Amino acid sequence: MSEQVRQESVGVQTGETLVDVNGLKTYYDDGGIIDSNPVKAVDGVDFEIKRGETLGLVGESGCGKTTLGRTLIQLEDATAGEVLFDGTDVTELSGTELKNWRRNSQMVFQDPESSLNDRMTVGEIIREPLDVHDWETPQERRERVRELLDVVGLQPEHYYRYPHQFSGGQRQRIGIARALALEPEFVVLDEPVSALDVSVQAQILNLLEDLQDEFGLTYLFIAHDLSVVRHICDRVAVMYLGNVMELGETEEMFANPKNPYTHSLLSAIPEPDPTADKERVTLRGTPPSPRDPPAGCPFTTRCPMKIRPEKYEDIDPDLWVAIEVFREVLRERARAEKSLTEIAKEKLGMETRFSDIDEIRTELFGDLDVPSRVREHVEVAANHVEQNDEHAAREYLADEFGSICDAEDPSMHVVSDTGRTSNCHRHLPDYQEPDEFTPYTER
Amino acid sequence: MSVTDDPEEATLLERIQDDPGPAMRWLAGALLLFALEAGAVVNFVTGLFGPGMELPTLLSRELIPNNGFQTPAGVWKETFLGLSPAVAWGIRVALVYVYAIVCTWWLWRGYLVFREHYRYADWTPRDDMIDRLRGHRWGQFGAVIVFAFVIMAMFAPALGPTTVERTIQDPYSYTVDYYDENGELANVTVGQANLGARSQGTPDQNVGVMQYDEYGRFHPFGTLPSGKDMFTFMAAGARVSLFIGLLSIGLSGFIAASFALLTAYYKGLVDLAVVITGDSIMSLPRLLFVMLLSVVLADTWIAGIYSGGLLLALIFAATGWPILWRAVRGPAFQIAEQEWIDAAKSFGQKPRITMQKHMAPYILGYLLVYSSMSLGGIIIGVAGLSFLGLGVSAPTPEWGRAIDIGQSYVTTTSWHISFIPGILIVLVVTAFNALGDGIRDAIDPQSEGGEGEGSEAVAAGGGGA
Ligand code: SF4
Repeated sequence: MSEQVRQESVGVQTGETLVDVNGLKTYYDDGGIIDSNPVKAVDGVDFEIKRGETLGLVGESGCGKTTLGRTLIQLEDATAGEVLFDGTDVTELSGTELKNWRRNSQMVFQDPESSLNDRMTVGEIIREPLDVHDWETPQERRERVRELLDVVGLQPEHYYRYPHQFSGGQRQRIGIARALALEPEFVVLDEPVSALDVSVQAQILNLLEDLQDEFGLTYLFIAHDLSVVRHICDRVAVMYLGNVMELGETEEMFANPKNPYTHSLLSAIPEPDPTADKERVTLRGTPPSPRDPPAGCPFTTRCPMKIRPEKYEDIDPDLWVAIEVFREVLRERARAEKSLTEIAKEKLGMETRFSDIDEIRTELFGDLDVPSRVREHVEVAANHVEQNDEHAAREYLADEFGSICDAEDPSMHVVSDTGRTSNCHRHLPDYQEPDEFTPYTER
Repeated sequence: MSVTDDPEEATLLERIQDDPGPAMRWLAGALLLFALEAGAVVNFVTGLFGPGMELPTLLSRELIPNNGFQTPAGVWKETFLGLSPAVAWGIRVALVYVYAIVCTWWLWRGYLVFREHYRYADWTPRDDMIDRLRGHRWGQFGAVIVFAFVIMAMFAPALGPTTVERTIQDPYSYTVDYYDENGELANVTVGQANLGARSQGTPDQNVGVMQYDEYGRFHPFGTLPSGKDMFTFMAAGARVSLFIGLLSIGLSGFIAASFALLTAYYKGLVDLAVVITGDSIMSLPRLLFVMLLSVVLADTWIAGIYSGGLLLALIFAATGWPILWRAVRGPAFQIAEQEWIDAAKSFGQKPRITMQKHMAPYILGYLLVYSSMSLGGIIIGVAGLSFLGLGVSAPTPEWGRAIDIGQSYVTTTSWHISFIPGILIVLVVTAFNALGDGIRDAIDPQSEGGEGEGSEAVAAGGGGA
């Protein structure tokens, strides 16, 4: 599928490819003794970044965007896949080769309070990368630092000041100067303005844009603030649960999101013009744990446009949502840790907090008109739960109400003539396109 | 401060060449101060390789002698300016402390000169710490006592009314002059004189605090049951305690810091291994274990060095590092989470330098705090071992042994034998703790109360828009 993407995106952007990411996975095994499932922070992503462009990377917190950024500059080890930088797979580099490559890609960190060592002068901080790489002579390094201070809008006299003496915005400028010291081609900006006052954010964004023009930098801009992304990025990748859901040109995507997740995410932005008539999709629930992502589409547990099995196409959307929520509740409960007393109570056949399935049913289906062909299945599942066999209940519901969304991981489909790609089964010819489909929650 | 605007960074030496005045003035003073005591330093250094070289020194007992004899007419001979031994000794002690205070003040001035004339930065985070320490009365109390103790240890040979050599180690090779009952100048060995100056708990067999014995020798702290001068004993004992304390705390601090940095940087298995080792050592009853080790190792060659002092220092270091490591592990892990560590990794800084430059300075303060606090514990531990007859072997002076020896005289007129070392130990240990408190509050103002933390959290919350 990445083949398909690459062919299609030729001509989207004139620069050549600088960073090419293929099937990248980064799993953390944080050594938990009980829970041995690794955290699948990045779970198979493919994309490329063109020379000189700014690629935005957005998503809710915990979706893996920061880990992805850190993997690209080799602060994390990739579990699988490759990151081609100018054709070299940097996940394979080590030792001197890795160190030399590091000059090419730098990072600006999120929190300017934490990214500068308070015990060093500003000059020492910016100079450190130069010292590490034995850049020219010590005197030239000092000159370079002063030049960098000037470039990021600080004074050369600030050389001997300490970070404590600067404001958040100024500290971020120092961090930017440090990232630029080695003249990198590629800079990962990890939410560079999210910790700053709104009044300062614009200044830093402008500075970043100016620097990009001046030095021909390529940016990966990680953010959760979509308005910032719209302002600064040429293209955007939308991430959810370790996967890229949609990737394409910024304006086009903001104007007409194709993927159901992008759709939900964008509709959550407050509209600058309140009279604009725009439907808002509120996402229910929380993302599933990245230790245990859903089998099919990553978004399946919350998707407001999920494909229904044919025989349930006609049922009331509210009822459909209720069924979905019912399934998610069971899923959450399976994930929730049971305490020892609860396990003991269960074994003794006593009431536990996990046995209130009837309450849940009343809550979800009480007000709805549930046809018997649905009711019977819900009842079978509830019975399983009462027998403390939640697994069987989930299996049963998945068999009955599940669709291609639960079963198969969707692949990237090209969805516009600019080469935008979206990761959703609805782009298959058999189904209604997401942008033509009204989410259940809005009907 | 025009130097700040100079675009070229110069080395400290070049900066001093540019404006040599203040540095030269300071250096002249420092040399003068040093010259006064150069003899002692030369003597100490040459003493390491053989018999020490003797040079005239201001604060020496030769220059201000306090040993002499009183003629029947009541005139003192051979003492400094014919003063009584008590006064002569007092002058010498006073001079030693004045000298030490002046030296310390001069060092502080040196720092101020550097700060004012040669440092580029107008302000560093360290300045704030020093300011906070300046306002910390309890910490200053500790610092003053610790200072007095350290000076007592450093200048032990000059401070005592007599020397360890003369009265403790080799009393039968030296003599004292005195006028006997018949009014004639007589001569007796120190050993014999000591026999006449014993403190045995009876009024006629006791030389108490600030008393003379019958040979005209002055004993500021009285004498031991064996008749040896106790102040000399205490001053030399301070040296032993300080040596053992500093060496063992230095070693365990080094081990603790290295482990904390390594485990915080690499985490995972390295951490687990150190946690297991450290906790196993900590789970041992320390004093019992120390006793066991000092008995087991008592016959090895290492026990012969410095009368067993080196061995004790090593044992205390080996058993003490986990306590310090526990104290700095948390801070080290916190620092390892800072983004500047990631930044250093991202441009390829070597792990060792990252640990040194970006992590170590932040745990050093904690290390200092806990070191000064556990130093007291080690001094007590060493004294406790001597009290039990283990540890530093006789005749090398050790405070704990004095307490032990004096035990049976506590309720008698010779109460000073146990009481003085006991009180001094309490004072010194408290002082080290107070100093530790002071340093902690200086490096970490938040630890004083919740207020600082709260307001910072509010500020952070407000900033994160
Ligand atoms: S594949 Fe299904 S669940 Fe996933 S986004 Fe598309 S419609 Fe929603």
